[in-house]
Amino acid sequence: MAFLIRTIDFTAAGREIIRDRVVDQNSLTIGRAAENDIHLPDLAVEQNHVRIDLQGDGTLAVAALGTLGFALDGRVVTEGTIDPRTGGEISLGAARFAVASEADGRTIITIRQVVADEGKGDALRGFALASVLPSKRAMSWAFASAILLLLLLVPVASHLLRSPAKPDPTGKTPGTVLMDSAWTSGELSLKHHSLKDNCESCHVDAFESVQDETCISCHKDTGDHAPMPRLAKGSPALSPGDALQWRIAEGFGKEGPLGCVACHSEHEGPKRQPAGGEAFCSDCHNKLDTRLTDTALANAHDFGKGHPQFRPVYFASFGAAKPVRAAPGAKPVERSGLVFPHDVHMNARGGAARMAVSLSQYGKPLECKDCHILTSDRLSFKEVKMEDSCEGCHSLVSGRTAAGGFSKLRHGDIKDLAEDLARVSSGPRARVGPARQRPGQIGSASPYRADFGRPVRAYIGLSNALSAGGVCTECHLPTRGPTGQADLFPVNLPDRFLSSGYFNHEAHKREKCTDCHAADTSKVASDLLIPDLKSCRDCHLGATAVKTKKIVPSDCAMCHAYHLPAGQWQGLRSPKGPAPHYKPRPQAAPSPAKTKVAAVLATARQKP
Amino acid sequence: MATKAAQEKGGTGRFSQDEKRRDSDHVSFLKHRGFRWLWIALALSAASIAGYVLIDQEPRPNGGTWYGYTLGTIGVGLILWLSLLGVRKRRINPGAWSLKAWTSAHVYLGLSLVVVGTLHTGFQVGWNVHTLAYVLMLLVIATGIYGVVVYATLPASLSANRKEMTRAQMLDALTAIDRQLESAAQPLGRSEADLVIAALGQNVFYGGPLARMTGSYSGCATARALNGMGGGSDATTRVAALLERRRDQLAQIRGALRIRAMLEIWLFIHIPLTIALIAALTAHVISVFYYW
Repeated sequence: MAFLIRTIDFTAAGREIIRDRVVDQNSLTIGRAAENDIHLPDLAVEQNHVRIDLQGDGTLAVAALGTLGFALDGRVVTEGTIDPRTGGEISLGAARFAVASEADGRTIITIRQVVADEGKGDALRGFALASVLPSKRAMSWAFASAILLLLLLVPVASHLLRSPAKPDPTGKTPGTVLMDSAWTSGELSLKHHSLKDNCESCHVDAFESVQDETCISCHKDTGDHAPMPRLAKGSPALSPGDALQWRIAEGFGKEGPLGCVACHSEHEGPKRQPAGGEAFCSDCHNKLDTRLTDTALANAHDFGKGHPQFRPVYFASFGAAKPVRAAPGAKPVERSGLVFPHDVHMNARGGAARMAVSLSQYGKPLECKDCHILTSDRLSFKEVKMEDSCEGCHSLVSGRTAAGGFSKLRHGDIKDLAEDLARVSSGPRARVGPARQRPGQIGSASPYRADFGRPVRAYIGLSNALSAGGVCTECHLPTRGPTGQADLFPVNLPDRFLSSGYFNHEAHKREKCTDCHAADTSKVASDLLIPDLKSCRDCHLGATAVKTKKIVPSDCAMCHAYHLPAGQWQGLRSPKGPAPHYKPRPQAAPSPAKTKVAAVLATARQKP
Repeated sequence: MATKAAQEKGGTGRFSQDEKRRDSDHVSFLKHRGFRWLWIALALSAASIAGYVLIDQEPRPNGGTWYGYTLGTIGVGLILWLSLLGVRKRRINPGAWSLKAWTSAHVYLGLSLVVVGTLHTGFQVGWNVHTLAYVLMLLVIATGIYGVVVYATLPASLSANRKEMTRAQMLDALTAIDRQLESAAQPLGRSEADLVIAALGQNVFYGGPLARMTGSYSGCATARALNGMGGGSDATTRVAALLERRRDQLAQIRGALRIRAMLEIWLFIHIPLTIALIAALTAHVISVFYYW
């Protein structure tokens, strides 16, 4: 068996020199020593480094002779086997021995010197993932600049360079600041939802909290709970923690605990502003008199435990221009100018009831709702009109008309009454008796005399009607006018008796009216039938009360609103028109009888 | 005896000092000082949760209440400090404030940021810059958790895959096979020779990041050459045998690449997202006060 050993060298010019020699033996030794079959002048190689033996099956056993190994196909080993048919490579120092088999069955060993691989360090870099990914630094710059540009620089720049868009509650004017919708911290409340594309309608200046002025630019008519100095004086001192918070917040342009945004925080989701809890009110009203020493308001903190007696407003004297508020705990005597015994009308077996049964429009004894009709806001009742509610029984019919109907005296103005009465006395009267005249009947019953009667009859009729026992005084109180002529007191009834809170009659419709209003036992119209605190407390106790079948825990907001105490929270079903916390429009010429008490009080409250 | 006694007492002798240092050198950063930073992080999280539950935040908990601002300030402080690990690890200095302590704190305080950040949101999320910052923070923390897990588990399989070869040796082995392949392929016909040329010409590190992560190289020219090496001649058999060895060697290299990629991929998300997070935080903080 022979080995063909082929040595490939290079001349200085780079030309290949190939030398072949045949070693005809079954083993080979390789090393630095000269006696080896293959001699390598390389200090990295041992004197006697490797021995190659041909084995019986044609493979070559390669073994290190010393302790230093060699590389077989790139792997450092001390012994190994090469099958010349598949080939193999031994590496010793700078020499590479490629082992293969020739076609004639000889084993050829090709020896080549390789130059040190200088690029190996670079090649190893390929193992790192960084070789196939963009650098972390580049990605960082890209992400960070995209975020800063789109979410910070674009909105800030467009905000600084914009021409301000006006607030448009209809939501038709979009904002001019770009990309600022990405700044929203939550959805706007239901009522402000239309402003969602116009951030700068509220956020006017950079780094400045939303200002009251901005709110008021739309909410011009919002009622003030009280004038600002009084609010400030009536508020309790802030706790040190709260004071610190507000100092910091004011440093950033917030307007303090009395500013709009202190309560009306926005971006809290598509809801409505919830009413303040009991503590919200009692913080100030619990001991209000200690801070606001001149206040007319009594302290209140819990409807069940600490709430002043109701003080309804009413007209305390006949024909008064303004209503007055009842003294706490007093039993008010109302001077409405009317004569109206509730008990007579409500007695189911009395004359009024019988009359009502006989009339087609009632058909049964009178009920409260026959006269008192709820207003659309369910708070109070429409004005009782004589023509609708009284005239069914208290008729003012004065005769028949030529057309076959009835003529009647007009109600409401004494001048009208005087005219109608004059017409009754002088106008052509319908025949009362048979049409055919009997001779000699010209006398007291004949129209002849009445037609030519003296005008004084009409005055006597008017005087009779207006004085005690006359038709008017069935319901009205007689008086004398400035010149001494017969007259009646004007009817003075406030539209609301409890003006600093509200009572929802709709919510109480399962109760009977007389459960609260003692109308069935009231004999005179001067009884003020407004229930007292105690009767409310049968069911309503403070917010901390335990809810039972009968007891309703009631916080302040159940009856009082903040901006206008008399304006009711109407829920989502509220009718069109200004929200109830807006000041009522001042009326053109309020007549004393139709004075809106809430309006009077609202204007009174605005004065510091 | 004397040194033993000194050692037991934790004395200041040279031996006990060296022992202490050796011990601390071989304690994982996770267990550093008896899990000191784990306990600190748990205390911070527990305190944040207790505050969130006990403090009445009107009208509802979010980043805009005083407690929300407090949590936000803690959170932004932590994020900035955590991101300084990259600076700290490039400065080699010994001492109590060691890199191991710093890394331990980085991991555990980073985890507590999940609690602090989530409470700061008040569980309100939306399509806005604020939630962007929050989501980036969660992604950074998630990749960090992944990083800790793979650092603890993968190095063992990396060394198992090496089979006592260095990376350079793996490449050398491939080069050795390539040289033999080149001479063995001399008798082959055109089409087979082309296959061998393609296999030899293809970069060892052929394949994108996805191929590295999955270990699936559909375009591998060696595999293709192996499939195309038909015929029963001696030459093709030899070449096929060499190609098989090449394939096996490549598989080892690719195994190393795969483990290496799984060890390193998280940093390619962790670091850029951290910088993106700092940018988003800047936008978040400025926008909140810009539109206050």
